[in-house]
Amino acid sequence: MKQTTFNRNKIGQLMVTILPFVALIVLFALFVGVVSMKGYRLDMYLQIVFNEGVVLAVVATGAIFIYTLGTFDISLGAATLFAATMGVLAYNATENMALMILAIFASGIICSLLNSVLASVFHIPAFVTTVAMMSVLTAVASQIITTKGGALGGISIPSVIVKDMDNPGFKIILLAVFFLVCFFTFNLTKAGRRQKFIGGNPVCAALTGIQFNKYTILAFTIAGIGVGLGAFLTLVYTPSVTTTTASSIGMNIFIAIVFGGMPISGGARSKIYASLVGGFSFMLLNDILELVIDSSAAYGITQLISAVFFLAVVYVTSMNYRTQMLPR
Amino acid sequence: MSEPILQMKNINKKFGSVIALKDVNLDVYPGEIRGLIGENGSGKSTISSIAAGMQKATSGDMYFKGDKWQPSSMIDALKGGIGMIVQESGTIAGVTVAENIFLGEINQFKNKLGIINRKLLNEKATEAMRNIGVEDITGDMPIAALDFQTRKLVEIAKVVLKNPDILVIDETSTALSHDGRSIMYRLMKKLRDEGKAIIFISHDLEEIMEACDTLTVLRDGNLIRTFTKDEFDADAIRTSMIGRELQGDYYRSDFTPSYMDEVAMELTDVNLGEELRNINLTLHKGEIVGVGGLSGCGMHALGKVMFGAAKPESGKVALGNGKKIDNPHTAVKNKIGYVSKDRDVESLVLSASIKDNISVGGMDEYALGGWLVTSKRESEYVQNQIDTLSIKCSSANQLTSQLSGGNKQKVVFGKWIGCGSEILILDCPTRGVDIGVKQAMYQLMMKLKSEGKAILMISEELPELIGMSDRIFIMKNGEITHEFERNAELTDANIIGYMI
Repeated sequence: MKQTTFNRNKIGQLMVTILPFVALIVLFALFVGVVSMKGYRLDMYLQIVFNEGVVLAVVATGAIFIYTLGTFDISLGAATLFAATMGVLAYNATENMALMILAIFASGIICSLLNSVLASVFHIPAFVTTVAMMSVLTAVASQIITTKGGALGGISIPSVIVKDMDNPGFKIILLAVFFLVCFFTFNLTKAGRRQKFIGGNPVCAALTGIQFNKYTILAFTIAGIGVGLGAFLTLVYTPSVTTTTASSIGMNIFIAIVFGGMPISGGARSKIYASLVGGFSFMLLNDILELVIDSSAAYGITQLISAVFFLAVVYVTSMNYRTQMLPR
Repeated sequence: MSEPILQMKNINKKFGSVIALKDVNLDVYPGEIRGLIGENGSGKSTISSIAAGMQKATSGDMYFKGDKWQPSSMIDALKGGIGMIVQESGTIAGVTVAENIFLGEINQFKNKLGIINRKLLNEKATEAMRNIGVEDITGDMPIAALDFQTRKLVEIAKVVLKNPDILVIDETSTALSHDGRSIMYRLMKKLRDEGKAIIFISHDLEEIMEACDTLTVLRDGNLIRTFTKDEFDADAIRTSMIGRELQGDYYRSDFTPSYMDEVAMELTDVNLGEELRNINLTLHKGEIVGVGGLSGCGMHALGKVMFGAAKPESGKVALGNGKKIDNPHTAVKNKIGYVSKDRDVESLVLSASIKDNISVGGMDEYALGGWLVTSKRESEYVQNQIDTLSIKCSSANQLTSQLSGGNKQKVVFGKWIGCGSEILILDCPTRGVDIGVKQAMYQLMMKLKSEGKAILMISEELPELIGMSDRIFIMKNGEITHEFERNAELTDANIIGYMI
């Protein structure tokens, strides 16, 4: 009897762990089915999902470090837009690819660091600083884009300079390298492990001698690198930037990492792979809904269904944990 | 004898693979104070929390005042007549005392315009506090401004206000100091005299024998025996609790202070508002210094200041070598460990595993190059602590929230001992732990002392201070009022006068 209960418990935990992967496979199968049923070209649609998903996954991978601390950054989309804008400006001013990349990463990291300094040094709640930052960055980027872009409604770099990089192989390598570095940092270094501890209980972490400010700044820096990489991949995919570029990334990351099996409260049960699994799951779900609901009301219904799906995932992933609590 | 007010028949409870209760039958009578005692994990909290609606039994039946009893929640149980005060903090931060007491019932204070009559709300809450004998707390006070003991008293007031027929008090006295305990004992007697029943859970054998009319012993989820008042015998109860006789000494067997000349830590003219005034204290290597006093005397603030978690307004906190300690990071870097009184909030990450909680303190020790955490080295390090401290768990990956109070405390000890802390600041280290774990902790403290570690033990239990300390500092109103050296003649009576 005891063994049976133990096994049932283990199976429950395993189910919760593999559920995001199962969901990804099911969504992929559904996507293939829907595209085939509609008679569209599967390779083209897969490429669309991949190109959208890879940007989301890259930015989300960096963002996991922030979410692990038990906080969040809603300005990541705006920061991606801002970094891409700075990249375009840098290239158009110098026609130097290296300087463009430098400008993109510097912008991404500076935006993130600014958030972290406000949050850790001045003790302003991250959700306040990132909401403010989102408005500021969007406004600045939009001003630059509308001023410089004029009637075109956007600014761009010559597509020829990024054409060679716009292929799945390059993007997969970029994503894999960044993910592996983050995976290593997150799971196998003192810094990553301490970030999980802070997310679990910041008071206890402080009374264990862990420096909150140091790890907050580190988390936002890694997220800034993710933003830079995301902005770069955005330019590789579409070498122009408009005011709506990456606008929904901030909120999509939040949904994606929960889809990937990460607890919204962060802490010890945070998982770095949630960014990959959730990022691509989210894009698949989004594209499936857009294909199925082929009407002007598609956007609203898609959002509604995504929200229901989101709540269901949060409930299921937290269910196993909640039922195991002993009375205190 | 009258009919039982509560009957629990063949109660079983399982948490995953853990069997918490096995066919427990418990009858509680009106007008009695029923003690529940047992080691950590014996099932005391589980059986009482089932009666109070906190959780459901896996199987078994309950009858309350003759009717089938199936509360859906603690609120439901309280409305029906069984209220419970939980072991850890049960108040909500960020709101006032009144809002905590009338949580979920604020609407009754709304006027015709739908505006809450705050004056009335605060008055009623203040009245509720007066009702349990607390005179200095008013409804408008923010709960965050109160210490752990006072928040506990707010919880008691909140439950008593509902006039329950059965009041369950789970390990609450350990959060209270002398005056708080007096309030609680008076209340228990008052309710008993009114024909109510009290289920009182405590690890303190002396306390439970004094306060209770009957005493039920649980062990490993089984009900072992119920003692009536005339059958109370400390040795017999202890043997029932642990299933064997305690071997070896409980406290230290020597009565001479012994420590090295070398100073481990020193406080010079330390001041912190009303909490600490002109504190001068020296802690030597190989010494156990005890600090005692009534609640609000400043002893808990002293622990935080020594760990760098609270900044003194003036004065110096330094190691023996002169190195200043002004934040927890510096403290930990200099091999100082701190065990908080508020264990679940300040010393553990409950949602993390035992491994996570223990290993975080020792990463500098076992991580390759001081930064690379490999699974093998981490597992060995953690398992070593689990074995050394005999932590009862299914594996190192078990969630800390699933452990009993004593085992949680062992995890906290594991965090600090594993990383080789040279100075340990222990704030109420045996709070909420059973007699067996207590003895193990005392023996551990003696072992650490013999290794030259310096220990500052803050405690609200005078026998513990007398039994373990080389020197005892008694505090009152933020000041050290007296220092005692260890000797065989030292008793509670010698000390109490300097506390009150």
